[in-house]
Amino acid sequence: MAGMATTIEGSARQRAALGRGSRPLLFVAGILVVLLGLAYLSVAYGARTLSPSEVWSGLTTESDALNHAIVWQIRLPRLVDGMLVGAALAVAGCLLQGVTRNPLADPTILGITAASGLASATAMVIEPQIPTWGMAAACVGGGLVGAGLLFFIAWRGQISPIRLALAGVAMSAFFGAAIVALLSSSRTFLQTSLGFLAGGLYGADWRDFRATAVYIVPGILGAFLLAGRLNVLALGDDVASGLGILTDRTRVAILVVCGVLTAAAVAVAGLVSFVGLVCPHLARFAVGNDNRRLIPASALTGATLVAAADLAARVVIAPYEIPMGIITAGVGAPFLLYLVKFRG
Amino acid sequence: MRLEAEALTLEYGGRRAVDGVSLAIQSGEMVAIVGPNGSGKSTLLRGMSRLQKPSSGRVLLDGRDIRGMGAREVARDLAILTQSPEAGLDLTVRELVWRGRYPHQGILQRPTPPDFEAVEWAMDAADVTALAGRALGALSGGERQRAWIALALAQQPRVMLLDEPTSFLDIRHQVEVMHLLRRLNAQGMTIVVVLHDLLLAGRFCDRIVAMTGGSVAFDGPPAAVLEPDGLERVFGVPMMVIADPETGQPIALPRPDPALCPAARPLP
Repeated sequence: MAGMATTIEGSARQRAALGRGSRPLLFVAGILVVLLGLAYLSVAYGARTLSPSEVWSGLTTESDALNHAIVWQIRLPRLVDGMLVGAALAVAGCLLQGVTRNPLADPTILGITAASGLASATAMVIEPQIPTWGMAAACVGGGLVGAGLLFFIAWRGQISPIRLALAGVAMSAFFGAAIVALLSSSRTFLQTSLGFLAGGLYGADWRDFRATAVYIVPGILGAFLLAGRLNVLALGDDVASGLGILTDRTRVAILVVCGVLTAAAVAVAGLVSFVGLVCPHLARFAVGNDNRRLIPASALTGATLVAAADLAARVVIAPYEIPMGIITAGVGAPFLLYLVKFRG
Repeated sequence: MRLEAEALTLEYGGRRAVDGVSLAIQSGEMVAIVGPNGSGKSTLLRGMSRLQKPSSGRVLLDGRDIRGMGAREVARDLAILTQSPEAGLDLTVRELVWRGRYPHQGILQRPTPPDFEAVEWAMDAADVTALAGRALGALSGGERQRAWIALALAQQPRVMLLDEPTSFLDIRHQVEVMHLLRRLNAQGMTIVVVLHDLLLAGRFCDRIVAMTGGSVAFDGPPAAVLEPDGLERVFGVPMMVIADPETGQPIALPRPDPALCPAARPLP
């Protein structure tokens, strides 16, 4: 009995050592349930509402051609694209908040979204019929150039988190202005431009999925592998170096991963804001500060938030759509304010 | 474990802060580095770990150049605690101390029993077990300092470098930190500690290295280094040394100097 009590106490202590009791498990279970619910609703609702039996037959049989097409060609790919975009932005935000030691960092604020967006807008203007994979590649190129520029400006012997944040804010404003200048000079794109600038998943399909998953899946894996190093880097450069981290090399790796993730998300969804900022905070509340948990938890949170926002964007004024970015900002901004005021 | 600086030259803020210093720390020694502000103590300590790259010279850990070793490999044997780190205030003490296991953990490896033991031992040794669940930001200066020491201890180093671990602490906490270092030293850890307080240096260390202007001025046991003329040259004020009435150990004090403290005069 005594031995057993020790074991139980020991394992409770070990759990407490690694996280915050059972809260992380509850969080994962809860978010998976929500995600499943959202998945069903996303498939069932839209311009045309499908009954549960229609959803089922659309999913399982090709004989119900219309519903099969709605489910498999329109709604499922869009759901999956949205989840991928959300996960990518949330993980990028999580990495940036860690590397800048600034809870307000995210790919939008640090100019990586705008750099990818400028590449995307340029590609659209030069070649309106650009294939999806070409667009994704252009965005990733832009995102990497943006991350590289951020690194270059912030580097002076070493990278300081403060210079990184300042450089990012300036880059974001500059590239943002360049995007608007570019799009407004080519009048024909006005409608598309609006969707792109506000951020949305209009028309996202399996080609978008294939073109971006090749960047996002390895990106998230890379982020997960960097998590232990990010934990230590958050303690400051001296402590991190003392623990055996090559600080600048780690920061470069993190910025590259952020550039890739953000750019791939921009390629499908345009300039979605607030997902990268808010999701890591939500996840941190549930699983704590350890990036080895925080990064997967942020990915799940981001996937859920974007799936929910896109569902809302499609059904609020169905059969019309509002840009999904308006929902993420509309929900994300007040939620962040709540966190700042009552949880910070 | 032996730590050796060979003709080490280090820059700080564009000038030569440490100028060709050679210093051999023997295994199991407890050495204090003292000297006035700007004499290069902290820079020397950073150069003797991997925190700062020397502009010339090298540092050997048991005969191996630390620049030729992997960063994590060095961190498994050598820990450095810099002056009052400011980050990590939202972490709990336990979360902080766990990060000291980084050099021992593989990227995807789950924590092993030795990791748990090392963390518990480190928190126990630094006397922060009772604070394990508290956030670093909610602790007093002394508690926070002990938490950072616990982080360094979780590395299970064989050489520990500390930069002014007693500054900002009250007398009781100063003495407690020095007792802790002494205990670790008795267990075989080699310790190099930068101190401003000559009393602590003389009472707790086997050897004192006095620096001035980026070079070592004196190096020897407390009884040899703590003598008035040498200290006056290092610190630039008249000094005297008295014997501790209980132990006979040397205690260095600034000499009362009437020229520097003229009789009280009303303020204009």
